[in-house]
Amino acid sequence: MFGVSRRYLTDFDWPLLAMALLVAAFGVLEISSAEPFPGLWRRQLVGIGIGLGVLFFVTLVDYRRIVNIAPYLYVVGIVLLALVLTPLGREVNGNKSWLYFGSFGFQPSEFAKLFTLLFLAYFLSGVKRYPLDLWTTIVAGGIWAVPTALVFAQNDTGSALSFTSFLAATLFLSGLRWSWLAAALVAVCIAVVVAVPYIKTCKSYKCERIKAVYWPDLAEKRFRYQNEQSEIAVGSGGLLGKGIRGSTQGTLGFVPEVQNDFIYAVASEETGFVGSFAALTVYLLIVTRLIQIARRARERVGLLLVAGFASLLLYHVTVNIGMVLRMLPIMGIPLPLMSSGSTSVVATLFGLGLAISVRLRRFVN
Amino acid sequence: MKSVREFNPVDAMRETGLRLVIISYIAVAIFVVLAGRLWFLQIMNSGVFAERAEQNRTRILPIPARRGTIFDRNGTILVTSQPSYNIVLSRKDVSVKDFPAIAELLVNNVKIDRDWLNKRFEAAQWEPKYESIVVKELASAADVAWVKAHQYEYPMIRAEEAPRRKYLYGTLAAHAIGYVGEVDRRELSNPESSFSREKGFKLGDIIGKAGIERTYNEVLMGKDGERRVVVDSRGRIQREIERIEPIPGRDLYTTLDLNVQKVAEEQTDTMPAGRGSIVVSDPRNGEILAYVSHPAFDPNVFSLRAKTDEGKEEIQQLTEDPNKPLYNRPIQGMYPPGSTWKLLTTVAALNEGVITPENSRIQDGGIQLGNYFMRSISNYGMPDIVTAIAKSADGYYYRLGLKMGPEKFERWVEKFGFGKRTGIDLPREMVGSAPTRATKIREYDFYIKKAEKQLAEATDKTLRAQLEFRIKQLQHEAEWTAYDMAASAFGQGRNATTPVQLLRYVGGLAVGGQMHTPHLFLRAEPGVDRLGNSHPEMRYEDKNTFVVPMNADIHDIVKKGMWQAVNAGGTAGAAAVEGFDVCAKTGTAQVVSTEKANKATQDHAWLMSFAPRDNPEMAMVILTENAGFGGKQSAPRAKPIYEEYYRRTRKITDPVVADAATEPADKAKKAETPTTVEKTQKTEKKRVSAQ
Repeated sequence: MFGVSRRYLTDFDWPLLAMALLVAAFGVLEISSAEPFPGLWRRQLVGIGIGLGVLFFVTLVDYRRIVNIAPYLYVVGIVLLALVLTPLGREVNGNKSWLYFGSFGFQPSEFAKLFTLLFLAYFLSGVKRYPLDLWTTIVAGGIWAVPTALVFAQNDTGSALSFTSFLAATLFLSGLRWSWLAAALVAVCIAVVVAVPYIKTCKSYKCERIKAVYWPDLAEKRFRYQNEQSEIAVGSGGLLGKGIRGSTQGTLGFVPEVQNDFIYAVASEETGFVGSFAALTVYLLIVTRLIQIARRARERVGLLLVAGFASLLLYHVTVNIGMVLRMLPIMGIPLPLMSSGSTSVVATLFGLGLAISVRLRRFVN
Repeated sequence: MKSVREFNPVDAMRETGLRLVIISYIAVAIFVVLAGRLWFLQIMNSGVFAERAEQNRTRILPIPARRGTIFDRNGTILVTSQPSYNIVLSRKDVSVKDFPAIAELLVNNVKIDRDWLNKRFEAAQWEPKYESIVVKELASAADVAWVKAHQYEYPMIRAEEAPRRKYLYGTLAAHAIGYVGEVDRRELSNPESSFSREKGFKLGDIIGKAGIERTYNEVLMGKDGERRVVVDSRGRIQREIERIEPIPGRDLYTTLDLNVQKVAEEQTDTMPAGRGSIVVSDPRNGEILAYVSHPAFDPNVFSLRAKTDEGKEEIQQLTEDPNKPLYNRPIQGMYPPGSTWKLLTTVAALNEGVITPENSRIQDGGIQLGNYFMRSISNYGMPDIVTAIAKSADGYYYRLGLKMGPEKFERWVEKFGFGKRTGIDLPREMVGSAPTRATKIREYDFYIKKAEKQLAEATDKTLRAQLEFRIKQLQHEAEWTAYDMAASAFGQGRNATTPVQLLRYVGGLAVGGQMHTPHLFLRAEPGVDRLGNSHPEMRYEDKNTFVVPMNADIHDIVKKGMWQAVNAGGTAGAAAVEGFDVCAKTGTAQVVSTEKANKATQDHAWLMSFAPRDNPEMAMVILTENAGFGGKQSAPRAKPIYEEYYRRTRKITDPVVADAATEPADKAKKAETPTTVEKTQKTEKKRVSAQ
């Protein structure tokens, strides 16, 4: 099973890995440019190194073996998420989403996402019904609900919502009825219409963050500040940007969390439209490449796994960049591969490893 | 679930493929939206955001320009600006609960009293957040060094450059010089004011608040410089991009003569009620040599300590002091001129031909006016005009006034410029009131109008009758009576003048009619104003000077009368200076009060004088408030001032005189001056009895 054959080398999805590494390298460059703490980029390199190790390990293992232990991984993920809520968890930037063992800390939610996805794929691929029946849908919803509720409890709305992205994708691909889908969309629209007047008057910080984007006049100034500064950073980049290390918005501290959630703002400021558009394009290419892998998967479980991961990635990119460009409210969502933070990088490369593994085994031989 | 079909992998795969395509379309759609937004921000609007980013990172910090120095006429520095630093705490990133920690930090590192600082912070809780707290004014070099060294740890604590106005002589000439302070919010927002935003002033600007600091603010203020610096999001300065040095304000020379001023101050110090004024000018041009309003205040309180608690307390004390040290008596105090007014009556009567130099004898003494007997303190029989001036014969002037009548009299009140401001270059001068029929009518008009209004509203018959009667009575009372005429002629009645008005008047009498506007501005050095415009040297231009017609005969009589008042047994003998031919006229401004016996309500004592008699160089008005008779209280105070000037300009080194002169004031003044007053009173008595 560990045989590195010629087949492995030729069938390995090098372009996908190359695109991922390109984005990650761009991230390291921008982290070193923003540099809120000296040497942060080195830690990011270490994270990428570990992530690559995980990626190659996963590609060497048949993904079906991993899927087979998905229920256990799911339970492990739930336990870790629950531990975060115990005194072992630690709060960073208002989100209690970190787990520390000594000085080694990570965000279990990043892995819980993938474990939940694995379990969903495991479960849905075993259902031999098309379209989906109600019971199966409810069970899938239950699988989704437990970790989502735990992450919500950590006050990490952005991550909690990310579970929905692959739930929707896997259910959709498993044959969710069109009528149900339409009903769900209508329900969402009604919910939005009902919620708007409430949000406009509500004073909680979550509402303020929403108002800061869509009704800036109603929002408190301090909540608008981050959005405005980020927007200024991107806009002031212009066509060609201010050059690497030319950022003022990022390096002088106007944009918050520059190395992390707002790395794309600094990148846009320094490299301009050319750089930010290029990065966006690479993300699109990665997502479409993943969908292509899903299409060619040998079995449903591989398809659901890769498509679910693609939708998770798409969710992250959309929410993060949408937030930086002041189109979506601020949520603590990292930009995959670019944002500083080992957990996110390792988890993303783990997901990519699964996808490559699916691709490697697309032929029944 | 009947609708669930039998699972068919091929069908399922086909539809799944379709659904995957839909997902990739969603991905592309999202990509297009995000790319569109990037295009909007970075291509279409990049200019706007680039500008905002620039504004974000750069700050323009003003460097306040040094205010011009103020000199006396001989080039002695009176007021200067010294470089100084304030230590301020920015409220922007500091909440009230941080105060104890910051207080601890400041007490330990910058020498500040803990209790004082706690009080300051307590007060600051209620102050607006955009105002930074001045925690220490006039910080030492060590304090500033500590603050600058810890800029990164404590960005909220800053050292701010703040040139401080220093009034080197404290209370000396405080009312003439004035003081500076921060521009008022109300002044800024009122476009009519001279310190409005439209005229380029901004919050925190230091402007003249009173005196010549205010009148000549445009001369004294320089052009502020600025620093363009790069700051981070917490406002910490990262580096300087550009620096435009400030241009200091223009230096200003006043007409004040420090030597004369000092002697005059000594004389006000011994005034019995602790209140009074002395103003001295050069009658040839109206330049004020000394300007004293007593009691005075220390302008440093406003410029150096206005923001500290002790300073606020001092200001509070100044405003509550019953002697009103902030009151600018020479231009705001309005007193009946008393007998000093007789010279106006004299000049009017001679000009109008009511009397002639040759034939000027009129009965002195009390006079029966209808059923009222108007007493006169003096009775010199049938004095001529010169004696009447010298002896201040009240009865003489009652009759002279009655003989002249109001038309001729009022013509000269106007010619001498009374009832109008002199136009001295100080803010907030009062008008006073002229003893004319119009003034009296205006006074009664107020009550008549009030009664008429009541009448219009009244319905009750008896009340209407009463009111109608009252109106008639008032109209009758408003008529100009013989009493009014007699009283006005010798300076009582509806007559109120400021000491500065009298100063111009006596100056005009001294030089034979040329009335110069009293002023304090001598010249300003060439330089740049606060807007950056260049100006050549400026000198005072008297635009309001005018002439009171007075021929040589009349001028002679005025001089002779006033000379005799000093040098030939008149009322002002105590002002005599050997060799300097002082001419003077005393006056008593009656204080109308029910408690005449009370010392505080005694009459005000005037002395207006000039010297020497021929080609006068100095004019002087002294007002000793609530002191009694002018000859006793004000005349002896003129003498040392004339002496000082006389000795200095004539270079007399007579040992006896020189001794009294060079002796610094503080030692001599308190002990000796009362005895001087007593002495002169004695000699005066002797003289009177000798006559």
